Amino acid sequence: MVKKQVVPFLVLVVAALWLAGCSSSANSEKESSANSAASSSARDELVYATAKDINDMNPHLYAGSMPAQGIVYESLVENTAEGIKPLLAESWDISEDGKIYTFRLRPNVTFHDGEPFNAEAVKLNFDAVQSNASKHAWIKLSSMLTETKVIDEYTVQLELSEPYYPALLELSMTRPYVFLSPKDFIDGETKDGVNGYNGTGPYKLTDHKTDQFAVFEANESYWNGAPKLKKITAKVLPAGETTFLALQKGEVDFVFTDDRGADSIDVEAMNKLAESGDFQIVRSEPMNTKMIVANSSKKDSPAADAAVRQAIWHSIDRETIGEAIFNGTESAADTLFSSNVNYANVELQKRDYDLELAEKLLEENGWVGEGIREKDGRKLTMNLYYDVNSSSQKAQAEMIQNAAKNIGIQLELFGEESTSIANRRTTGDYDLLFNQTWGLAYDPQSTIASFTSDSAYRHTTSGIPEAEELYRKIGEVMVSSDEETRKALYQDILTIVHDEAVFIPLTNGSVTIVAPKDLQGISFKQTQFELPFEQMSFSR
Amino acid sequence: MGRYIFKRGLISVPLLLVVSFLTFILNSLSPMDPAEVVLHAQGVPRITDELLEETRLALGLDRPLLVRYWNWFLSCLRLDFGDSYVTGKPVWSLLGPAFLNTLKLTMVSVVAIIILSIALGVLCALREGKLLDKSIRGISFVLTAMPSYLLASLLVLYFSVKLDLLPTNGMDTIGSYILPVTVITISYAGIYFRIVRSSMLSSLNEDYVLYGRACGLPERKITRRILRNSLQVAVSVFCMAIPIILGSTVVVENIFAWPGLGTLSVNSILSRDFPIIQAYVLILAASFVIVNTFSDMVNAWVNPKLREDG
Amino acid sequence: MRRFHYFLKDKLAALSLAIISITVIAGIFAPWIAPNDPEEVHMELRFASASWEYLLGNDHLGRCILSRLIYGIRPSVLWVLVALVASVGIGAVIGFIAGYFKGRIDAFLMRICDVMLSFPGYVMTLAIIGILGVGLENILLAFVLMKWAWFARIIRTSVMAYAESDYVKFSKVLGMGSLRIMRKHILPVSLPDIAVTSSSAYSSMVLQLSGFSFLGLGIQAPHAEWGMMLNEAREVMFSRPEMMLAPGITTILFVTAVNFFTDSLQVALDPKLGISGKKRQGRPDSVAGRIQRNEVA
Repeated sequence: MVKKQVVPFLVLVVAALWLAGCSSSANSEKESSANSAASSSARDELVYATAKDINDMNPHLYAGSMPAQGIVYESLVENTAEGIKPLLAESWDISEDGKIYTFRLRPNVTFHDGEPFNAEAVKLNFDAVQSNASKHAWIKLSSMLTETKVIDEYTVQLELSEPYYPALLELSMTRPYVFLSPKDFIDGETKDGVNGYNGTGPYKLTDHKTDQFAVFEANESYWNGAPKLKKITAKVLPAGETTFLALQKGEVDFVFTDDRGADSIDVEAMNKLAESGDFQIVRSEPMNTKMIVANSSKKDSPAADAAVRQAIWHSIDRETIGEAIFNGTESAADTLFSSNVNYANVELQKRDYDLELAEKLLEENGWVGEGIREKDGRKLTMNLYYDVNSSSQKAQAEMIQNAAKNIGIQLELFGEESTSIANRRTTGDYDLLFNQTWGLAYDPQSTIASFTSDSAYRHTTSGIPEAEELYRKIGEVMVSSDEETRKALYQDILTIVHDEAVFIPLTNGSVTIVAPKDLQGISFKQTQFELPFEQMSFSR
Repeated sequence: MGRYIFKRGLISVPLLLVVSFLTFILNSLSPMDPAEVVLHAQGVPRITDELLEETRLALGLDRPLLVRYWNWFLSCLRLDFGDSYVTGKPVWSLLGPAFLNTLKLTMVSVVAIIILSIALGVLCALREGKLLDKSIRGISFVLTAMPSYLLASLLVLYFSVKLDLLPTNGMDTIGSYILPVTVITISYAGIYFRIVRSSMLSSLNEDYVLYGRACGLPERKITRRILRNSLQVAVSVFCMAIPIILGSTVVVENIFAWPGLGTLSVNSILSRDFPIIQAYVLILAASFVIVNTFSDMVNAWVNPKLREDG
Repeated sequence: MRRFHYFLKDKLAALSLAIISITVIAGIFAPWIAPNDPEEVHMELRFASASWEYLLGNDHLGRCILSRLIYGIRPSVLWVLVALVASVGIGAVIGFIAGYFKGRIDAFLMRICDVMLSFPGYVMTLAIIGILGVGLENILLAFVLMKWAWFARIIRTSVMAYAESDYVKFSKVLGMGSLRIMRKHILPVSLPDIAVTSSSAYSSMVLQLSGFSFLGLGIQAPHAEWGMMLNEAREVMFSRPEMMLAPGITTILFVTAVNFFTDSLQVALDPKLGISGKKRQGRPDSVAGRIQRNEVA
């Protein structure tokens, strides 16, 4: 009898110890590779923390991590502060009618697997993207690109169905118009998966363990010179204190605000860390605008009333949000796009934090009563949705809700997953929700184009009286080839949405990097989703 | 005997079927269109009606529910749980390694829990009502009252930050086991040691103990006898503990960035990656049913009285 | 009643009961007890330390921590209690029916319980939240859905034991109705069992709710809840670790009190600890069932 019980126990103990032993021996190598960057004496490695796995790196789909895709793949042209610059294309011509783009490719570029990058590869990639066009509906070019022609080994021609001025901008984006080695295609396609992740970029993916880490090594034969940082490891860590601890202990040495919302890093703790002398904090110029989006098309909602939207705008103390909730890392935003955005330097009437004015606006428009205001028997009650994973959105929501309560507006708060918020935006099932513009590379043209899109801001914009006019102007601005006309159109568009107060700006967000003190060459791109790691190096 | 085991085994088959069916329809309970869920999960920036239609066809959502269920069930038997919505990789290639990682954590923890709770349980039972018994139970109440994330945070603050002894995350070295295992052990040992203690105590009151004492058997022999009998309860309890702990390492894994089932399932639930959730629930439920059946069989084998209770 | 008296003689138990009662009362009368509005934002008082007006200081939005703790009792303690009562209620009805009538009804009901118990509780709760969305109501709903089967099992076992007793047999012979027998003879004797199991389940439910809040799935802002307060404090854990003190200690204190209470209850209702233990011992499913849902947050 005793034996019967003792044996399974022993088996259990032995099995457990064996399992533990196994894992440690199997992982010790990986561990040294994942952790050594911080301590290594060579100082040419970096370990950055990421909240989610890099996921599927297929550059023609959207599941992958953008910072990772950004260092592995490249596009024909690059979007910089000075405008569009050559990248894999050395130069290009646009035909008189704006429909034919001819690119001369950079010669002697190879993919990570040794395949040459040439006109054939471009055609193959573009055709693969186009054959899955329904997934790329957000990017207008995908519906206008009719043909990709190989002219000679290093010349390609793109044919558009109509002139489209942001074409080059869209070609410069992280995805989908970037290049994967032809060898990685499955039956000439990429939509059902790929055989490998060989791009032309400065880094190649050499190791990946789901939900643990991904290793990128320098592409020694990179056409623009081998990068100085030889190895970059993306380590998966939950945002917040685990990441901070890992940083403090040297298990990671680089943290940045990525597209998966690493905004829950305690700013004060970060500042303390920087004061200790081992780290520096670098902040980009404003990249995007965080805002509250109001549903103007929901007729039974108070949010459809412009006066209510304006009153909310006046009731939000944006200075304090920037100072207190973001610890001064973000500045108050007065307009949908900050003035450093192309075409957005427009005179607009500024709406200050002014509770009295907000109350006056409500009174004048018939919202009256003690406690929660009413108009025609309808209560001034709205639902405000925020991303449950963003602690800063939650804090802002709580603050805004409290301020609104003092002027007789009742806001019900709902923290939801980002997918269900996206779903609400699509279906129009919201009064107010938190959102942000897409960032410099996409503003204003992509954000404005999305005003008309069902899955983006259609419900936000379609309820305003000038909706027809707005949509017509948006349609015109996308195809207009004259700079002055474009400026005028953008001015009109921005004025309409500003006056209607459907996009209530909160703060201008920027990308924050925490990096080792001696890391040099930290810079930013025109998008919050990518970082130019290839320009960074350690000073001795 | 054989008949009982056969009967008990047979019951678990329909059970597994029902469980798997409920798991499968989880997806359909969501108020959101599954095709749309998939596209959101894949991060597609703009979803058109045309794309939705395409996705529905590609997922086979146009076929009747029962047909889809049956196909899914059959392929599950071959460990083919479909492809993840988010990454497009086969579910098993993600779930397998994660399962192994969580299993490692669970096994090490279960061993720690067993050792700790038997030692403490026996100690307390033999010293029932004494100061030692009272203080151990008191401490265990306080420790089990602590939310595990709070406990984890405190341990990390002290051992990793202040003393700089142990890693804070991942499962890279033997050292990385220490903190998560400690948190799990503290949370559960408090419960299990009480079970050991009370089963020891009730054995102490059994007639055979009185009889043995009356007959003048040495106390050592009696204690051994008691231990043996209580261990029997303990074995079945601990058998059950494995799938329970396997399914509730979620918080601990999240804090320590342990690349296991808990992390995977929370991420999948947050991104609505249903194939992974379904496979995960199914695997845990199946292991629960199997362990349950197995422990019933072992008990029936050890204790013939139970067989008619079926 | 004598048992209750015995119970009160235990000082620790009396203290636990006092803590639990004070908490519950404070929760019910929160609007009269709390010194301030728990949702009133004072950005200028961010992270202010204790003052006469704000006895426990202010949080990251300058709200009164003490008032938030008191209002937080409602979801953290009272609503969990409601969920507990609901699942015990469902479990009791099913357990009584199964244990009393036995046979096919029992087999059928127990198979349903088996199905429910096969699901990993923690993950199913998460999955239900994933499907229905974040929020306190959904967590509570998930609690009821996932826990009633466990109670049904335990109550059935205890009912079965008493249904065999002589006076029940006697009542049957006398021609008493089933409902009446259940109410008059079985319910009173199985009540202690129900009390002990539900009170031990209670502490783990409180902890689980706080665990879900930790994962950000709990109550909707701006309402206060202990787990959420801890979660908010966790974000500034390195710069202001003291923020964790108030909600942390409150949670531990309350759950510890429930633990001690359960233990004393068990001893008081069952002085030898052997009586019902002996009955159960022969039934492995009850021992297993007893621990089955003891997941820790």
